[in-house]
Amino acid sequence: MKKNKMICSIGQKTLVFCASIFLLSIFVFFVARLAPGDPLEAYYGDRVERMSVQERMRAEMRLGLHDPIAVQYGRWLENAAAGDFGISYKYKMPVEEVIESRVQNTLLLGGLGFLLIFGGALLLGIFCTWQEGKWLDRLICQVGTITCAIPEFWLALVLILVFSVELRLLPSSGAYDVGGSGSIGDRAVHLVLPMTAVVVNHLWYYAYMIRNKMLEEVREEYILLAKAKGLGRERILLVHALRNVLPSYLSLMAISVPHILGGTYVVEAVFSYPGIGTLFYESARFQDYNLLMLICLLSGAVVILSNLLAQGINEAIDPRMRSTAFVEKNQEVKS
Amino acid sequence: MNHSFEIVGIRAQEVKQIKQRRRYLSGLPWPALLVLAIMILGCLAVPWLGVRDPAFMDMANYNRPPDMEFLFGTDTMGRDVFSCIWHGGRVSIFIGLAATVLSTFIAVVYGALSGMAPVWLDDLLMRLTEILLSIPSLLLVILLLACMGKPNVFSIALVIGLTSWLAIAKVVRTEVRQLAEADFIAAARIMGGGTFYILRKHLLPNFLASIMFMVVMNVRSAIVYESTLSFMGLGLPLSVISWGSMLSLSEKALLTDAWWIILIPGVFLATLLLSLTSIGNYLRKEVNRKESNL
Repeated sequence: MKKNKMICSIGQKTLVFCASIFLLSIFVFFVARLAPGDPLEAYYGDRVERMSVQERMRAEMRLGLHDPIAVQYGRWLENAAAGDFGISYKYKMPVEEVIESRVQNTLLLGGLGFLLIFGGALLLGIFCTWQEGKWLDRLICQVGTITCAIPEFWLALVLILVFSVELRLLPSSGAYDVGGSGSIGDRAVHLVLPMTAVVVNHLWYYAYMIRNKMLEEVREEYILLAKAKGLGRERILLVHALRNVLPSYLSLMAISVPHILGGTYVVEAVFSYPGIGTLFYESARFQDYNLLMLICLLSGAVVILSNLLAQGINEAIDPRMRSTAFVEKNQEVKS
Repeated sequence: MNHSFEIVGIRAQEVKQIKQRRRYLSGLPWPALLVLAIMILGCLAVPWLGVRDPAFMDMANYNRPPDMEFLFGTDTMGRDVFSCIWHGGRVSIFIGLAATVLSTFIAVVYGALSGMAPVWLDDLLMRLTEILLSIPSLLLVILLLACMGKPNVFSIALVIGLTSWLAIAKVVRTEVRQLAEADFIAAARIMGGGTFYILRKHLLPNFLASIMFMVVMNVRSAIVYESTLSFMGLGLPLSVISWGSMLSLSEKALLTDAWWIILIPGVFLATLLLSLTSIGNYLRKEVNRKESNL
């Protein structure tokens, strides 16, 4: 019985995932093709301006750009189902290969940043709850609010200005030295500034949420009971209060994925870090449809997947969240 | 007197006064409000301040560090940064406000409709917002902006407004779902109130407090979007002065070590965002205040 339910839940989630990706692909496809830019420019560069009408026609025909959008979409879908996402107009390579060469850089920056942000935010949030109202908590709150208010790209700029231009300590762009072997040390040095920009910008936002959630939790009756039972502050905070905060923290982590992903993309662009973000701006600017499409789908897939994952985790931890039946029942009781 | 039951042995308990009603206007984030007021007044009053023409390119004095003549220096094209700050602020703040008005309007209407709709339609509408929320919003903004052709102030405000209503709509929908069952809504309906009348008169005042924080934060993020886009060359062109487009000169500024071109617009931007954030936090904090049990 229980197993059946789980399979059912997984099946439902897979269905939601597929439907979301499908809708997303339609949306991105149509929006991208409605843009007034000229995709031939990405393919042929400046030569486009010297092309005759016939040459243009032939080129468009060859790239399949003269058909109605719906037909183009159908063809794209057919090819994509067979694992062929088309070629990048700019790089003249299959888009999977273009992305493959960049994706590890983004994973490194985004993934490591994600872990640092959420590990740090949890610690910072608990610490601030511990110190609630004392000077250290207030100081951290003030500093945090300031770091949070700074736009990401400007923070990145200031970091470049201070550490690369003035102090000449760290490199300002790229993921490794040109011509270098890309050793671990070299990569790490190139990662410091972008990583700082990503982490500093997001850290406080989540730490503050943890702090607020914990402060709310600490005002519950059961904390009073635990205290009356004679438990120590650490135990109450780390075992009793934290346990009730963690599920919402997990879903917060999932919801934050688009934010952090977007933030990583911005930072990548400022540092000309060869990742998916830089690629995205290029493809949006040069109307590199196939590339744009796959990047959007991949980003969307990551986000939707993490949303569903969060739902699953929540359901596993808190049985009340299993399906909307509970919520509806409650509403019935109320009415 | 009826002595049917009697309470024995209860210690008189002191009733804790949790929150005293604070005096009117005390506890407001005054520094933030003051900074905001100065910035807005400065931007509004700039034609009468007697600053230089921000668009004038002084070729004799380009890339000058701040001094008495040019308070904030000049940029790589010889424009006076001090004057650009105030003129650019108008554009940045306008985009922030316009985008927020648009997104709040869409969010309230969409959220309320979804909240009052039958369950299947509600499910459908909410799924749709979830799918849209799953695209990193910056990607969405860039995609839509690409459709609008050459970006200008209005198209940027429009695109940011069109993409940032989702989160508020979800909150509005939850609130409306809870409120819609209430008797006073039924009473209003029986008396013949239309959907929009009920929304405006009965629902909006009830959920306004819970979205105010998000609305203020939306102004903030709209300003961030504008500056990020313009900085990357996807938003406003250099000739339209905003804090973002001023920062798009920063690549050249880095090469010539012109720190003022990067730092000054950024500091103004960050200060504005900071004061908006603290006003937002104040609004959020107002909702509940209780004593700690720890």
